[in-house]
Amino acid sequence: MSKKGKIRILIAKPGLDGHDRGAKVIARALRDAGMEVIYTGLRQSPEDIVEAAIQEDVQFIGLSILSGAHSHIFPKVVELLKERGVGDIRIIAGGIIPNEEIPKWKKMGIEAIFGPGSSTTEIIDYINGIAN
Amino acid sequence: MNQTELIRNLRNGDVRAVARLLTLIEDEDKEAEQILKEIWELTGKSYIIGITGPPGAGKSTIVDVLARTAIDQGHKVGVLAVDPTSPFSGGAVLGDRLRMSSAHESGIFIRSVASRGHLGGLAATTRFMINALELLQNDITLVETVGAGQGDVEIAQLADTTVVIEVPGLGDEVQAQKAGILEIGDILVVNKSDRPGADRLSKELQMMLSLGEHGKWLPPIVATTATSSGGIDKLWNEIKNHRNHLGKKKLQQQRLRKLKYDLENQVRQKLFNRKIIEVGSDKIERMATSIMKRDIDPFSAVERIIKE
Repeated sequence: MSKKGKIRILIAKPGLDGHDRGAKVIARALRDAGMEVIYTGLRQSPEDIVEAAIQEDVQFIGLSILSGAHSHIFPKVVELLKERGVGDIRIIAGGIIPNEEIPKWKKMGIEAIFGPGSSTTEIIDYINGIAN
Repeated sequence: MNQTELIRNLRNGDVRAVARLLTLIEDEDKEAEQILKEIWELTGKSYIIGITGPPGAGKSTIVDVLARTAIDQGHKVGVLAVDPTSPFSGGAVLGDRLRMSSAHESGIFIRSVASRGHLGGLAATTRFMINALELLQNDITLVETVGAGQGDVEIAQLADTTVVIEVPGLGDEVQAQKAGILEIGDILVVNKSDRPGADRLSKELQMMLSLGEHGKWLPPIVATTATSSGGIDKLWNEIKNHRNHLGKKKLQQQRLRKLKYDLENQVRQKLFNRKIIEVGSDKIERMATSIMKRDIDPFSAVERIIKE
């Protein structure tokens, strides 16, 4: 077990929907892949998420959104990260994001979007691939 | 941020810089040591409160409401919350933040820490992480251990006041007679005190204390219901009482004793690592094979390796 440079990722569930099973499954899978996952729970505001990400010094933020609130939350999180001088934290997202919107969000700064049917291995490989 | 920049920002109490230093310390990065040397004189200024107890006893919730109480009384608070690392994957799910939403709203700095294979209830680097947090000018540091077993007593080596949290329903009075975690509490808390068995647990703890030996400080037993903040003011007052009891003189003595113990450990660890590297793992493995074959006993093997 190497102690050096462990990948730390914040898993957050912004917005008002209470369906956190997906977020929990991901948290567990990333743990089993050797990462340190900070799980913040339901109903987190973009401000909460960014503040927690700074304090925890994470390399990644994983956002799980199923309610459609992503169109408000994605830009807000990206903007706040830049504002606080931590634009280097990478955002990945999962949940219900319409396919046709994906290019738009990627352009705006969401690194990757994993919709329904994505395998946990796929997500782990992706994170390991781009982690420093 | 390069190192010079980082040190400058740390001196200014910049949150991002402190967060980065915490990561370097956790990763046992060489740079952390260099930086800590530079800023050492700025550390050691907070009063350290340790919170420990079995998994699910309500440690995080108590930390949350305690932090809020302290803030209301004009303190600046920092929190370190340790959770266990998986022995199989090396990963961890750090969920203490989940229960600390009100503390988070008050804008305090909370850092989730994985134990990274260290036993004893903390991470190997927790001591230095406390020092890093102190650069934020907090005068109170709350340290929450992993869900502790009976032998996870390391927090007492670190905290100025140690709070041990128990909950009803975990065992009979013989549990209270056993050595270990209950002995390190400067304050004992019976949380979930609205549950059946809480009164009895309080009585059993009282009995345990009355049978033991104490200095001038008899650990008080505080009943709390953390989810509704019940009893938290009383807990906070007892922490203040303990702090007053220690006063400046005893606090210094206590810290000196702990630092001495820690220094010995550090030297031991460093010498140990140096020796192991010097001897090399091949030699160790050959020796272990000899022990297994009963060609040599483990005691003589140790002697021989040390003499090498």
